[in-house]
Amino acid sequence: MATLTPTLTLTSTDVSSDRLSFSVTDSLTITSPHIGLAKTAVTTTGANNIIQPATDGQTYYVYVKHTGVDSGGSAVSTTLNIELTGDVIIGKLSAGEFMWMPVGGHSLGVQLQASSGTIVAEYAYFTKG
Amino acid sequence: MATTTATVSITSADLVPGMPVAINASSTLYQTGTTTGLELVEMGKGTLTQASGADALADALGTADTTNWVYICNKSTNVEQYMVIGIHETVIGHLGSEEWLWMPWNMGDSDAEINIEAEASGSIDYEYAIYRSTNTLPAKT
Repeated sequence: MATLTPTLTLTSTDVSSDRLSFSVTDSLTITSPHIGLAKTAVTTTGANNIIQPATDGQTYYVYVKHTGVDSGGSAVSTTLNIELTGDVIIGKLSAGEFMWMPVGGHSLGVQLQASSGTIVAEYAYFTKG
Repeated sequence: MATTTATVSITSADLVPGMPVAINASSTLYQTGTTTGLELVEMGKGTLTQASGADALADALGTADTTNWVYICNKSTNVEQYMVIGIHETVIGHLGSEEWLWMPWNMGDSDAEINIEAEASGSIDYEYAIYRSTNTLPAKT
């Protein structure tokens, strides 16, 4: 077992008349398997870009970032679909955006799909211990 | 337009021997496209009870297929308790005690509400924030 510490910070000086400065952190117990941080060139076929195996009752913590470039290194503005296997869209990331969430409670994995061309994504997943 | 920045840090000193995990990312919250200023912000706290079943935290009251963000934190310190997080009929995952999530929510259609449910027993305190590109006010009754 290992310990993982995720922290989210949201800041803004002008979203309202009150300054926004918010932070939340947690301490997670992690077991195998895990992928620390990897990159993949995502194509337009989600089933070819499965980044987290199907759950079997366990929870995975999943991190994904849209790097903003394609497989050739050129900047792209196309969106990256975050999907459960079977092409169930959860949400979409634009260039530079990231997400962190638990996945589980079903028997599906996580796959990525580019809206067009290719998109290089960074990802990691960790199994809840 | 206002600028809001989201930053995540994911660290571990003991996950891989001799190689600490240190993942960091930061992004400005944009409206759909590259316009800064997700200024429609809803933040709050609530209490879920297991008996109430799944409740809609936020309805998809805005333009479909837009950029929106959801933060949810399970404030329970009871490790037996978790929140089931879903979008309409799709279960995404279980949010354990003191865990949080930060996820995009593109409101694919009007049946894309974010729903939450307390498990296993008792009540769970939670906090949340929702950043929207658009929000259509419901008709008066």
